[in-house]
Amino acid sequence: MTINAIAKLTAAFDATFTSPGNAAENDRPPAVISWPSVPVEIVRAAGLQPIFVRGGAMQTPSADAHLEPEIFPGRLRALVDAALTGNLSGAACVIVPRTSDPDYKAFLYLREFVRRSIVGTLPPILLFDLLQSDGPDVGAYDTARTRALLDDLASIGGRQPSLDDVHQEIARTNAARAAARRLAALRRDRPRARGAEVFPLLGAFWQLEPNAYVALASEAADDFARRAPLDGLRLLLAGTPMDSPALHVEIESHGAIVVAEAGPWGSGAAGDDVACDGDPLMALAEKYRRDAIGPRTPVSALRAWFLRILDNVDAVVVSLPPEDTAFGWDYPGLRDLLQARRIPHVCLAGDPYRPLTPADHDRLHTLVNVAAAPTGKVRHGG
Amino acid sequence: MADKAEKQLDATVAAAAFQKQWFADLRRRVFDERQPYALVQADVPFELFDLLDVPAVSNQWWAAIVAAKRQAPAYLDAMSADGHHGSLCRYCSLGYASTKYRDVQEPPWGGLPTPRLLCARLTCDCIHRVFSLWAEAFGSELFEIDHPGASDLPPRWWELGRHRWRELVEPHRLAFVVSTLERLVERLEAIRGRRLDREALHQRLDMVNQQEEVFDAVRRLIENAPVTPVRMTEQISNVMATQWVRGSEWALAHARAFHDEVKHRVETGIAACPGEQARLMWVGAGLWHDTDFYTAFETSHRAVFVWSMYLAFGPDAYIRYGFDDPLTALASRTASFNEYLHNPPWAAEWIVQQALDHRIDGALVLRPRSMKPAGTGRLFIERALEEAGIPVLPIEGDVVDARAWDATAARAAVKSFLETRVAR
Repeated sequence: MTINAIAKLTAAFDATFTSPGNAAENDRPPAVISWPSVPVEIVRAAGLQPIFVRGGAMQTPSADAHLEPEIFPGRLRALVDAALTGNLSGAACVIVPRTSDPDYKAFLYLREFVRRSIVGTLPPILLFDLLQSDGPDVGAYDTARTRALLDDLASIGGRQPSLDDVHQEIARTNAARAAARRLAALRRDRPRARGAEVFPLLGAFWQLEPNAYVALASEAADDFARRAPLDGLRLLLAGTPMDSPALHVEIESHGAIVVAEAGPWGSGAAGDDVACDGDPLMALAEKYRRDAIGPRTPVSALRAWFLRILDNVDAVVVSLPPEDTAFGWDYPGLRDLLQARRIPHVCLAGDPYRPLTPADHDRLHTLVNVAAAPTGKVRHGG
Repeated sequence: MADKAEKQLDATVAAAAFQKQWFADLRRRVFDERQPYALVQADVPFELFDLLDVPAVSNQWWAAIVAAKRQAPAYLDAMSADGHHGSLCRYCSLGYASTKYRDVQEPPWGGLPTPRLLCARLTCDCIHRVFSLWAEAFGSELFEIDHPGASDLPPRWWELGRHRWRELVEPHRLAFVVSTLERLVERLEAIRGRRLDREALHQRLDMVNQQEEVFDAVRRLIENAPVTPVRMTEQISNVMATQWVRGSEWALAHARAFHDEVKHRVETGIAACPGEQARLMWVGAGLWHDTDFYTAFETSHRAVFVWSMYLAFGPDAYIRYGFDDPLTALASRTASFNEYLHNPPWAAEWIVQQALDHRIDGALVLRPRSMKPAGTGRLFIERALEEAGIPVLPIEGDVVDARAWDATAARAAVKSFLETRVAR
């Protein structure tokens, strides 16, 4: 029964816009989304099913003919490839949040493909222009953009939700957030499950209907709570946010346990609850502006997150793939922080969806051995 | 490689002298008189800084100076040694590197003094981070202008910009940028302890319009002349020296002097490249570490660079007629710089139109190594040019980082391109 819950959550995480599988919420039309910085609460309130694009090791030949190399991450190449090969025909719409410059460019490219007749038709392509800087004008702007997105989705979904409907979705999703937080808590201190196993269960938060998520995540958490704590190095995966557990698998093959990762798919999936007592659209805009982790998240917010999480880790792996334009700027500061805290680390520069090189495995092996050595002997990787 | 090409226009010499003196005056103001200045991205509204007597130094201008002095490799090596990986943008960060790693060498012209304020539009994802680090290195304040994304980009933007500019920027984007600029004005007013004279801003934008009209006239002279009267590199030198102080008395006077000199060259039949055989355009930011590249094919192939974005962009993107509120007009220009230059559909259709207007025989399109956001839209541009019958040669390189630039191979590629695809 419990294994069934873990399997169902994993299947929901694995669902894609070309094979929605068990993530399908009844017969709701899917809204394909390029990154989890779009309020799923309003997507569902408008009668749509959120399905997120994730990267992978798949080939994207159609996209490769139109996207400049080493700029667009795998998830956006997958999205564009689907658009060019007719695999978005079942989507009610595509929502591209302003999570990164490549996301914004992908939005413009998709529109241009239609304008220039490179592709016949596409579902409506929507930009969710969520700004994340700290200026006093940003909050009102984001609230207005959230309201505009709700209106667009209502038009597409054929269902105009009331603010009470949005409140209800917030409440349902908050319950799912609580279930995800309970799962995440079982990774901390003395972890009860490996990161590669937990990551999809946390990521399923985004794609699974909230009530179903609560039931399945609670069942999975009960199972983890009954397990004996795992021995092994507790490791933080930092750098560019992951949307796949592929790197977790590689790292954990060395006996370490990934207990946290930066980004919205794993440790950051749930975050804090959305406030339910005021304007729900303002509350959603504020929540996603503050919590949505991506290249445009303010440095100060990421730094605060790292400081909180470092108390519970023994080592850090920093992933900076070739398309990174943002997180690499944080690295020297993070390195200095880790050195001050005597926490060893390594940097990996490869494609996180593909197997690590033998040299990377050697570095991970060294990291694990160094970190497991008696205190006072740690070294720092680079 | 060829020696530095001799300047053909007196205006070019005057522009270079002005810039050097301007920077020396800035350092004197800052060090001797303890006056504030600002370090800013090239796409912020300089007019506000100038009118509130906070001189603004462009990050891109400073990076170009460092690169032209062949000093970029040492700073960039230091940045790499400090742990910044090689794929990060070098153009926007070279200035930061020249501050953070100032001990590796003596910077040009005595280096940047500590600014009172840094200001940047958050266009590319790296800008917030680079400017945060830079502000931290200086111990200075950072003012950010966020960049709302566009959902509606009407075709042929350059035909709307002058009179129908409100149609170019969606109302919610325009309102956001206006409110952010109002906050910037408040910040600058607090620094200087006095209010912005809105009437003076109105007059300044009128002066900017006049300056850009002069540049438009220069562009038409170049378009219509039988042979190119002024090299692209000298166009850039004259345009950018004025753009950084645009709308000032000196800028307008210099633009007119530049125009008159070009006009004289046209009227007397003086060619930048005597015996001109091929007219080239450069798409992208300039190769600041190797500007000789742009004159390297004049002797061998009688090929001359006629066009870059720097001259044409001013008249098409800066002129605003019919405004009541100057800050709104300023915001309408500021809001969409990146969309003009890099994004579909705007960038490709403008560049094709420019190529046709300038009777371009071949286009060299920069494939920037590290400036990833500036590298987007490139394939759309290349295809649109080819579809318009203009052969394209992509040039892979970095505008400030000479470390991986093979000047010999790049020149050989251009010569082959000229002989196989551009030959008239």
